[in-house]
Amino acid sequence: MDAVFSGLSAGFAVALDPFNLFLVLIGCFAGTLIGALPGIGPINGVAILLPIAYSLGFPPESALILLAGIYYGAEYGGRISSILLNVPGDASAVMTTLDGNPMAKRGEAGRALSLSAVASFVGGTFSVILVTLFGPMLAAYAVTFSPSDYVALMVFAFATLASLVGSNAVKTLLAALLGLMLASIGIDANTGVARYTFGIPDILAGIDFLVVVIGLFGMAELIHLVEQQVTGKLKPLALDKSFVSMKDLALTRWTILRSAVIGFFIGILPGTGASVASAVAYGTEKRLAKDSDNFGKGDIRGLAAPESANNAAAGGAMVPMLTLGIPGSGTTAILLGALLLFNVTPGPLMFEQRPEIAWGLIASMYIGNVALLVINLPLVGLFARLLTVPQQYLTPMIAVLAFIGVYSVVSNPHDLYMITLLGVVGWVLRKLDFSLAPVILGFVLGSLFENNLRRALSISGGDWSILLDSGNAIVLYVLAAVVVVVPIWLGRRKKKVAEA
Amino acid sequence: MADRVFAGAILVIALLYTYIAFTVIEAPFQYDPLGPESWPRILGIFAMACALYLVIRPDVAQLGTSTKTLGRLAVVVVLLFAYGYLFERLGFILSTWLFCATLAWMLGAAPLRAVLFGAAAGIVGFFVCTTLLELNLPVGLTAFLT
Repeated sequence: MDAVFSGLSAGFAVALDPFNLFLVLIGCFAGTLIGALPGIGPINGVAILLPIAYSLGFPPESALILLAGIYYGAEYGGRISSILLNVPGDASAVMTTLDGNPMAKRGEAGRALSLSAVASFVGGTFSVILVTLFGPMLAAYAVTFSPSDYVALMVFAFATLASLVGSNAVKTLLAALLGLMLASIGIDANTGVARYTFGIPDILAGIDFLVVVIGLFGMAELIHLVEQQVTGKLKPLALDKSFVSMKDLALTRWTILRSAVIGFFIGILPGTGASVASAVAYGTEKRLAKDSDNFGKGDIRGLAAPESANNAAAGGAMVPMLTLGIPGSGTTAILLGALLLFNVTPGPLMFEQRPEIAWGLIASMYIGNVALLVINLPLVGLFARLLTVPQQYLTPMIAVLAFIGVYSVVSNPHDLYMITLLGVVGWVLRKLDFSLAPVILGFVLGSLFENNLRRALSISGGDWSILLDSGNAIVLYVLAAVVVVVPIWLGRRKKKVAEA
Repeated sequence: MADRVFAGAILVIALLYTYIAFTVIEAPFQYDPLGPESWPRILGIFAMACALYLVIRPDVAQLGTSTKTLGRLAVVVVLLFAYGYLFERLGFILSTWLFCATLAWMLGAAPLRAVLFGAAAGIVGFFVCTTLLELNLPVGLTAFLT
């Protein structure tokens, strides 16, 4: 426990450094702005701004604090377009539209926005407290992981991904495999053998992470926005003077806390982020409520649950990233990639070797949550006005930001074609119901997965049975099997009940 | 059908990927039991299995995008490539001006507003990025400005 307090106080020393404090605030503010823009979610915002944050030349902890602020802020801002416009910025905001938008239609937009801000704050803060308590414990345990345990952990990560993300497990798995395959391009660090480079010098060092991220989450989003562009103008509902009351908070306090717990633990599961968390929290509250008829018609519990859960999940997703080096969501995969760009390898040793990054980030999350609540309650009118930014000006700006980012980091004009090409690929994948987050997870985890497998087999001299040699690994394989089998079994049972 | 075509394309790529893993990739000297070729082989085999499954059992029948929208999207992609082509040649200010004005106009902005918007994006963007944030952007034809 002492270690937690000393770590946390050291973290606050980093996060309260005037420059870092400034970056937290800027990140939260910019993130809320981006989240409030209709159709753009946290993952797109972080992706588009990552290369710019990288090329500003900040120390890694500052850049990470900035990007995490954007991530958090965008989770917050997403509720504005969900409630006032009924357009969710990303999958995690879909649940917010269900009860948030009917409330706004009833003339309670102010109440909905302030209640969801408080729910987000409680969910976010609760989950940071859990990160503070569990993170170092998990890291201390993970130090004992052997390469073969890591292989089992990866198998578990991809099993949860396939089972819980997306509509079709095979598609999610294939998307992750495409990411892993992309990551295998370039010179193999162990032997110096070039793989899949076809003599092209540009890709000897591998496909640039930034190019993949910007292509899949910036350019593909742009093409998607053009496709979705509605001819008539979207008209946001008016913001009124209603505000959340103590009675509302008293009524939703258990909903908010329950959803925060659900969100945190789902966030920890590798690969499953805020979208699964908010859906599960909403479903749970609906089932628990005695009078569930109002859900979907503007019930305050139906609004508080997903908002608390998705912010808690954003915090939970940081846990495996910081302690195991395995991201808990698509957006944390991008943050992890950002750390790798700075030559920082996240993992169990980070709390010991780079405490300024691990603890600085955690401390900045406390500050960010408070800042977001303070920014969001009075300034919500300002953010709401962003909803009227016409798409015809917003869309070109995405391309401009993406080009600036890629060019200022890589300075190679070929990469400008590359991101456009990847954008088209990403758009096609989305159209065909593939999720894009598994691609980036696969891409980020590719070398970690391969290296641990090779190291494990080097230790055993080529004997594959080493993969099943430890208790940790066996537990993880069993969990992986459970994660895959249980949803199938539940689905069958539901079908049987429906038929009977 | 769209699903099947795409999965078929992925299958072909995965086949090539796996073929290369089995024939081309080879370490001159084996350092570890797996070497550089085993990992791609494993990935390739799994990817082929997944793609084959999707070819047999596709679930998205159509893209659900009208030909007209596809045309618009094709124009946007061409614009993006043109922007990439002109980015260094014309420099950031001019290429951004052209790109933003054209795309905004195409998406429904009034011509004059689109031109003004493009100018603002190019000029303000350039000075904010180069002076304030000290990023590296191409000057191209506007080299006289710096």
